[in-house]
Amino acid sequence: MEKKSGVIVVNGLPIVQAQFNWSVGFQMQNFLKALANKKFLASKCPECAYVYAPPRNTCSKCYKKMEEKDLVELSGKGMLAGWTTAYVELDGKGNFVDLKKPKLIAAVKLEGANSTLFMPLEDIDSKKLKVGMAVAIEWSPETKGGWKDIKYLRAV
Amino acid sequence: MAYLKDERPETMMVEGDWQVGAYRWKAPRLLEEFSAGLKEKKIIGSMCMGCGKVITQPRHLCGRCHRRMDERCVLSDWGTITCFVISPKVEKGKYKLFGMDPVDTGTLKLGEILIPVFVRFDGADSNINCLLLNAKPEEVFIGMRVKVVWAKEPKGQMADLEGVEPIREK
Amino acid sequence: MFRNCAIIGCGQTKHTSRRRDVSVAELAQQAVQAALDDAGITMKDVGCVVSGNMQGFGGVAQPEQWLGDWIGCPGKPAIRIATGGTTGGSVGQGACYTVASGMYDVSIGVAWEKHSDSKEAGATTGLMHVGMGNLFHALTYGLSLRNLIATSAVGAAAGVAVYQAMFYMHRSGCKQEHLDMVAAKARRNAAKNQYAHLQWPNCRPEDIAKTETIAWPFRYGHVCPASDGASCIVVAEEKTAKRLCKQPAWFLGLASYSDEENQLQSENFGGVGVIDPSEQMGCRVSAKKAYAMAGITDPQKEIDLAEIYQPFPSQELIFSERLGLFDDGTAWRHMEKGETDINGRLPISVSGGVNATNAIGSSALQRILEAALQIQGKAGEHQVPKKVRKAVAHGWGGVTNYITCTVLGDSPR
Repeated sequence: MEKKSGVIVVNGLPIVQAQFNWSVGFQMQNFLKALANKKFLASKCPECAYVYAPPRNTCSKCYKKMEEKDLVELSGKGMLAGWTTAYVELDGKGNFVDLKKPKLIAAVKLEGANSTLFMPLEDIDSKKLKVGMAVAIEWSPETKGGWKDIKYLRAV
Repeated sequence: MAYLKDERPETMMVEGDWQVGAYRWKAPRLLEEFSAGLKEKKIIGSMCMGCGKVITQPRHLCGRCHRRMDERCVLSDWGTITCFVISPKVEKGKYKLFGMDPVDTGTLKLGEILIPVFVRFDGADSNINCLLLNAKPEEVFIGMRVKVVWAKEPKGQMADLEGVEPIREK
Repeated sequence: MFRNCAIIGCGQTKHTSRRRDVSVAELAQQAVQAALDDAGITMKDVGCVVSGNMQGFGGVAQPEQWLGDWIGCPGKPAIRIATGGTTGGSVGQGACYTVASGMYDVSIGVAWEKHSDSKEAGATTGLMHVGMGNLFHALTYGLSLRNLIATSAVGAAAGVAVYQAMFYMHRSGCKQEHLDMVAAKARRNAAKNQYAHLQWPNCRPEDIAKTETIAWPFRYGHVCPASDGASCIVVAEEKTAKRLCKQPAWFLGLASYSDEENQLQSENFGGVGVIDPSEQMGCRVSAKKAYAMAGITDPQKEIDLAEIYQPFPSQELIFSERLGLFDDGTAWRHMEKGETDINGRLPISVSGGVNATNAIGSSALQRILEAALQIQGKAGEHQVPKKVRKAVAHGWGGVTNYITCTVLGDSPR
C-alpha cells in the first residue's frame, strides 16, 4: 500500500487576487502624456548630463534632482544593443504557456539616451539581426497617452 | 472641529494584480489529525515533552523550546473564556471576503450580534478562537465556563466544532 | 564591540492617505533628501543604505532593488530589512549596527509605505496575503466560513489589537473612556506635527466617543489610518557626529525580540502557546536588555520621553507598562492625570504616534526619529518643554510578537 506523504498541497483559491494601482508621479506622467503626440521624452541630469529614457526625477549617478525643465525629446530612432527570443510566457496563474509564434525582445539604446530599455521587436528578419543595427519606434495608429502607443521596434 | 485636510494632486496610475491563486503551498497533515478527532467529538492537542505545554490545534514544534511536539492528548470539552469581543449588529457591506458579502450569501444574518471568543479548554495552554453561541452579549464575562457545541453529525472537518455555549446550572 | 554612534539628521515626508502626486520611489527619495539636508551632508558622504517596508503591501515584491537609485544605493551596499510592523525599528537599528560595528562611518536608514497603491480598502492587501496560506489550508479541512468571517473579520477588523485590549482592560480596570482619551491626545498632538496624518486640533475624548463602534471596545475614532509616507535617519560615528551636529541623538541601548505568534493561529493553523497577548514578555525582555546596555537602572525616573508604537490606544497603555515606565496595570491612571501629555511628567507619543500616522514600514523608524528630534530640540511645535536627556523608542509587529526597543540619549555612552 502506498504510504501517504507527510505533506499536502494547498492551492490558493483562483478567485483571489490582490489588485494594485501605482501612481506614477509627475515626471513619468509627462512622459506618458507626450506619447499621445508620438513624442518619446527623456530626462537629462543637469549635473552629470546622463540622459535617462524614460525620464525620472533622480539621477542614480550623482543624486541630483531632475524636473520638467530637464526633459528632452528623443528622435525615436536607436541602435539594437542586444536581443533574445521568447518561446513561452507566464499566464499570471503560475503556468507556462507556449507561444504560437516566438517573440523577439530587444534591448535598445535610443538616439540621445545613455540608458538602455527593452521593447518588443517586430517587422524584422530574425536572421539578419546584428548588434548595432538601426531600429526605430513604430507608433500605434491611435495614440492615447500610455505605453500602448508604442507598438514595437522595427528595423530601419 | 474635525481633521485637517491635505489633498494632493493625483498623477496617472498603472494597474496590476498578484494572482494569489497561483500559489501552491505545502502543509503537514496536522489539521487532518485534528479534524479526524473532531469526527469522534474529541479535541486533539500536541504536547511538548520539554516544557509540558499542550497546544491545540496541534503543531509540529513548541514555540518556545523548539522541541518536536509529537505526543498527542485529548483535551476536555469544557473550557474557560479568556477573552471576548462583541460585534455591532451585522450590516451589509461591512465584512466582505473574497469580494462576496456574507449577508448576501446568507452566511451572516442581518442585525445579528456575533461574539467571537478565545476559549482555553481544560488541559490546554493555548486559546481556540470560535463563536459563543446561545448566549446574550450582556451575559459574557472573562472567566465564564463554557462547553463545546458539536455539529449534529460530525463529518471530520473543522466546522464540526461549531462553537461553545455557557454551562448553565440545571 | 559597539562603537558610539548617533542620529545627526532626520527627514520625513508629509503623510496623507493618498500621496498620488509621487511614485513610491519619489516618496522615499523625498525623505532621504530631507534627512541629508538636515544632517548637512550629501549622498557622497553616505557609506551604506539600509532600507525597508512591509513585505508586499505596496505591490512591489523587492522594492529596494527597484527604487534603490532613488535612495542612493548605487555604489554602496544596500541592505533591506523586513520584520513586519517593526520594519522601521529594525531599519533604524540596522543603520546603527552598520556604523557601530565599525564598517561604515555614515549610514542612512530609510523606510516607507505607500498604502494607496493597493486597491483594497483600508490597505488590507498585504494583510490579506499574510493570512492566505494558513487560510486556504484551514478551508481545505472544512473550516466554517461563518466562523472564519466572525472571528477574523469582526475580531480582526481592528486588527489583532482588539483581543489584546480586552485582556488588558480586564486585568487593569482600564475603561473604554481611557481609550478615547489616548486617541484624542494622539490627534491633538498630531495637529502640532507638520508631517502627521490625522491632525485634529484640540480633539477631545468626547469627539472620539461620538464615532461608531467597530467591535467593542474599539471605535472608528480609535483606529490608526493607512498613510502614505516615508522617513529617513542619518547615523554617524562619534567624531563625524560631533563635527557635523550641535546636539546628536546618541544610541545608548538597542534590543529586539521575536516570539512565537502571540494570538490566533501559528503556522499551518496550529495553536499558539500564549494565552494573554497583552502579556508581551518580549517587550519586557527587550526593554530590560536595552536599559542595561544604556546603563539605566530605574526607567521610571531616568526616561524623560517615550515614543511608543501604538496603532491602537490600548497599546500605548500596555506597552508603557511593559517598557517599565509605569507599574503593572496603572498606566491608564497616570494617563488620566495628564502625566503623558506634551507638558506632562513623562510625555508619550507627542508626535501623535502611530495612532495618528501609520505608513506601516516607516512607523517604527519614525518612533526612533521622533525621539531623536526631541533630544535634538528640533521637533518644532510639538517639542516638549522639558529637557530630554534619555528617550525610549519602541516598535511591535507581526502577530504582536516582534518587538524592537531603542534607547537614545543626549550624550554618548
